[in-house]
Amino acid sequence: MGKKILIVDDEELVRNYVRRALASRGWEISEASNGIAALALLKREDFDAVICDLKMPDMRGEEVIKRIRDMLPAVKIVAITGSVSNITRPLVPGVELDGFLIKPFGIDEIRDLLEKISGGG
Amino acid sequence: MTTKATILVVDDEPQIAEMISASLLAHGYAVSVVYDGEQAVKKVAAEKFDLVITDIQMPGMDGITALGEMKKIDPELEVIIATGHGTMGTAIQSMRKGAFDYLHKPFEIKELLAVVGKALEKRKFNDITRAIFSTIKPEELLRVTIDSVTRILKAEESLLVLPDKEGRPRVAVSEGLEEEARLNSRLALCDRMMGRLDGSAKPFILVDEPAKDRSFSDLPGIGEIKCALFLPLMEENRPAGLININRTQDGEYFTEDDLQRAKIFGSLVNLALRNSNLYRQLQETQSQLIQAEKMSALGQLAGGLAHEINNPLSGILGLTQLVLENTKPDSQTFTDLKDIEKAVFRCKKIIVSLLSFARQEKTRMEPVSVNEVIEETLTLCARQMELKSVRITREFAQGLPMVNGDYQQLMQVFLNLFTNARDAMPEGGELAVSTSLLKDPAGRELIMATVSDTGTGIKPEILDSVFDPFFTTKPVGKGTGLGLSVCLGIINRHNGTIKAHSRPGSGTTFTIGLPV
Repeated sequence: MGKKILIVDDEELVRNYVRRALASRGWEISEASNGIAALALLKREDFDAVICDLKMPDMRGEEVIKRIRDMLPAVKIVAITGSVSNITRPLVPGVELDGFLIKPFGIDEIRDLLEKISGGG
Repeated sequence: MTTKATILVVDDEPQIAEMISASLLAHGYAVSVVYDGEQAVKKVAAEKFDLVITDIQMPGMDGITALGEMKKIDPELEVIIATGHGTMGTAIQSMRKGAFDYLHKPFEIKELLAVVGKALEKRKFNDITRAIFSTIKPEELLRVTIDSVTRILKAEESLLVLPDKEGRPRVAVSEGLEEEARLNSRLALCDRMMGRLDGSAKPFILVDEPAKDRSFSDLPGIGEIKCALFLPLMEENRPAGLININRTQDGEYFTEDDLQRAKIFGSLVNLALRNSNLYRQLQETQSQLIQAEKMSALGQLAGGLAHEINNPLSGILGLTQLVLENTKPDSQTFTDLKDIEKAVFRCKKIIVSLLSFARQEKTRMEPVSVNEVIEETLTLCARQMELKSVRITREFAQGLPMVNGDYQQLMQVFLNLFTNARDAMPEGGELAVSTSLLKDPAGRELIMATVSDTGTGIKPEILDSVFDPFFTTKPVGKGTGLGLSVCLGIINRHNGTIKAHSRPGSGTTFTIGLPV
């Protein structure tokens, strides 16, 4: 059975290819274009993993991720960002992430990461 | 005196006022007379005077009050106090209020004229001082200087000689020397004189009849000079130029007074030149600061831009790869898509480097591989180096331990060194980068990185200055003079060392030591 993933990014272009890359591997995908919509969706449905952009209008990605972690301690969280060139400090202070990717990332990078973090579980 | 000096005489006794007025008129001054303090103040407010001679005890406003009022209206105005009733007290009081001098009645006309002459001369000097110091732009300053000195010393001709970029004397500005042959003969005279200056700063040198002086007699065209006066210009205790003022055979010899004036004038000009130089330096510093601001703004812009570009770039990469999955590998489309993919990776690499450079955050220490920092920085510069025909050679020691450092800041250091190396090799050359492990005498391990170019090299006298903030050998607007000082700051924060070695003509090597 396919696992459920929520993609949170204000950039439609990014949601589009991530969705298709993962859907073709049997994942069930939902999308949200901002943090508030994402949190509402997470309250209604169960997800195995969340892929969340860090820079979005309205609620900052860091804040969204913190709230998700508070609400759902078991969900896998992957942060994606285009603002840094390499990771030298926790992307979201105080929250343990299951993974992160720096934009631009390819389809195999996101597939491998998702398979790695959820495959074992 | 080119224009007549104007003098206001203030005395409530008409006979005395008339007497003073008549003697001054007789000596070519323009004179006005009033009979009390109030009128004097009104008159000064309405007209321009060079000098006021006033009594103290007058009905209504007394002379000392009037002195204060007049000085308020025209601070440059010179005032001579003349009274028969004065005591030491009133004399001191009036001098404190800014009177030029004090005359006891009855005084002789000769005495009066002497004091008036001195007061007017002081005023003239004030004018010149103001002219010189209000002109801070070097070109104007030189013109004002020569105009003034020719006038003060009643000379027929004068010139100011400064060394050009190659150190050869050059006439910066001249007066009364329109004829080229004459100008050249004076330049030769100044050149000879400058050669004879031994560095001991004499305020002036007077040569009467230079054509008859053995030191100069071989110079052509100087026979018409009766007396030549030279004022050496000094800059930071080094000879920086020469003013030459000449009276020709029709004129008189310079008097003691003339020489005194010349001396004062010389020190004024030296002071003004120093101001002017400081002003020039200030301007340069300002433009460098503006440049540094620009660089910082550019960095921020680049950072923002990179972030904005990463989103669409991510889309291009992802979609390209999705289409690639459904494309036959032997098709043209597949090849084209692969090229797009490669192009995206190239963009990614550029943006990563740009972001690294653009960020200006606090030092964040983490284990860093020096080889990796250098390699990534070289990636950023590779294209520029290629364009300037600079060959890059690497000699990296393998298996080096990590150092505790800030990745971005160390990148910035190497980027600066590479950019400087490139600029030092406008005709191309070799950029050699090496790393090695070294134990210092105390037994601590250091990672040594050297960056060498085959460029123009750094002169030994400025080698010590290259790390100073705002020091730059690049043209104004090209270098901020901050690059190496920022490098030094970063390396210091890493408890490391950075040194420059260079010999002109054989390139420069920067050596960085970072503790493991």
